[in-house]
Amino acid sequence: MSIYYYLAAFLFCLGLLGTIFKKDLISMLLCLELMMGGVALLFILFSKSTGFLDAQLMVIFTMIISACEVAIGLSLIIALYRKKQTIYTDDIKIITE
Amino acid sequence: MAADIFLTILTVVFALMVVFSKKTVVSAFALLMTLLSLAMIFFQLGTVFLSAVQVLINAGAIAILFVFVMMLINLEQFPNNREKSKVKLVISTFTMLVVLGVFALVINNNIETLSVVNLTDNSMKALFDKLFNAYFLPFEMATVLLLAAIVACIVITTHEKHENEEELQILKTEEKL
Amino acid sequence: MLEAMIEILLKTVVILALPLGALPLIIHVERRGAAFMQRRLGPNRVGPFGILQPLADVAKFMFKEEVHPTHVRPFFYTAAPMIALVVAILPLACIPVAAPFEAFGRTIFPEVFRSDMGIFFAFAASALGSYGILLAGWASNNKYSMLGALRACAQMVSYELSLSTSVVAMIFLYGTNDIHVMIAAQTGYWFGFLPKWGVFLQPVAAMLFLVGIFAESNRLPFDLAEGESEIVAGYHLEYSSMKFALFFMAEYIHMIALSALFIIMFFGGYSLLPGMELIVERAPILLAVLQVTSLIIKIGCMIWFFVWVRWTLPRFRYDKLMDLGWERLLPLGIANLIVTVLIVYFRNQ
Repeated sequence: MSIYYYLAAFLFCLGLLGTIFKKDLISMLLCLELMMGGVALLFILFSKSTGFLDAQLMVIFTMIISACEVAIGLSLIIALYRKKQTIYTDDIKIITE
Repeated sequence: MAADIFLTILTVVFALMVVFSKKTVVSAFALLMTLLSLAMIFFQLGTVFLSAVQVLINAGAIAILFVFVMMLINLEQFPNNREKSKVKLVISTFTMLVVLGVFALVINNNIETLSVVNLTDNSMKALFDKLFNAYFLPFEMATVLLLAAIVACIVITTHEKHENEEELQILKTEEKL
Repeated sequence: MLEAMIEILLKTVVILALPLGALPLIIHVERRGAAFMQRRLGPNRVGPFGILQPLADVAKFMFKEEVHPTHVRPFFYTAAPMIALVVAILPLACIPVAAPFEAFGRTIFPEVFRSDMGIFFAFAASALGSYGILLAGWASNNKYSMLGALRACAQMVSYELSLSTSVVAMIFLYGTNDIHVMIAAQTGYWFGFLPKWGVFLQPVAAMLFLVGIFAESNRLPFDLAEGESEIVAGYHLEYSSMKFALFFMAEYIHMIALSALFIIMFFGGYSLLPGMELIVERAPILLAVLQVTSLIIKIGCMIWFFVWVRWTLPRFRYDKLMDLGWERLLPLGIANLIVTVLIVYFRNQ
């Protein structure tokens, strides 16, 4: 079971890497999902080791929040695509122009 | 133990594919496989309900949304020759290594206390007793959050379409005149 | 350990091979039924009543040349039919074909995957159903296929909502997620003659679920994904020979799995059909056999219903389909859920 702790940390960090490193918004959202997955795994492991069920409830809340985040993020991407015909972060520089 | 290692390797491989694959659609399907293997891990850890929910919500709904939007936008129209910023790569790798190092240190120092299994009652009934008593207010707030997200999505995505409809209406009335 | 492994293997082979073996028969029923509805003969040359026609078709599919278009995305193009079939078979693993019985000194659960929330897992597995179609449409790299896939996906996601509201209502009503307990609650009779089936308790939920399974399995009147008069053949336009046959099989198996779930929740699952108790009283040893028989008869009736509807109703227009899903069925489902919850609450008080 202890190997899963390292897996959760690795998933979180990999998601973090991708979120900074990727250039299009959809990939960044995908990497955010990856981070969420790592957090959910960590919550379940904590609930197993501490014996509290609260941590498992946190997983449910994580899922609800990630669903909201993905829905709003994707609709923002679609709105952006309609206005600017791009999904790359380099092209979105309204303030500096 | 063998199953643990197998599932870990599976998840790591798919997670690496999410981040390092060149095609975004491939990363979306890799994310789907990551979520499914996470569901398998949840099942392995004995949280059967959460693994079912993971498949139902994350793999069945959220990943589909991703693929759906990708197909609507048609990512292949964008040329794949964007310049890669070295600074970004260095910064992100550095951040990742630092955070991973901190996590690994913390986990390594507490591995004995962390790998003890203290959970006795793992049933769905106990889980929902807690959800509907101690966590009732957060639960209600989560539902309100979902509702707000639905409304927000509709407002964000139908804004322009609405304008078009108005234009269409104007055109129609002009035609009638 | 060895015994358990043999048991699981046997169960997997039997339960998963049964629907696959029944496929030719179902296809034959479909074609003969279509002919019957349209007052023509249908396939009747190969074997008695044309019963060997599906086998001849299979042979034809196998020996046909496999056309592999050059403009497709090869990996996903090949993977899509397999994913479609595997995902369609998955929910069958949670469906019990008989009550748990004692044999060889152990209790045998006649389902591949035993869990006390089997209904949840069945729906989780069937929620993955749109990936095969979506992948096929995208990998074909063809505008018609793409349109078909997007249509299928949007339709499945929208109808899954009304479908789940009816499922949740039934879970509340029976107070359990366990399929065996659910079916046990539906065994017996009201007033001595009316079977205690869920459909009499929750007609609205049954209706919602029925409409939902038509939309989920992409059958007429909801087969917008392959509307041949609008988008040629939809997502399987670029597929030929055995790959096409895999999609075909996936559709029928999805149909079987969803009808089995429908029967479990609204028509008593494997509980005996009226009249069969008399046989069981004489020979209790036949109980499991008769339960399997009743389940198969019920699924057969559902399949006939699918055929009947297919050749009776015309196809929906796409916007009407979406309106029906989001503006009619979903509010109806939520209202039904609220009423059910209130009734259960006051009943338990």
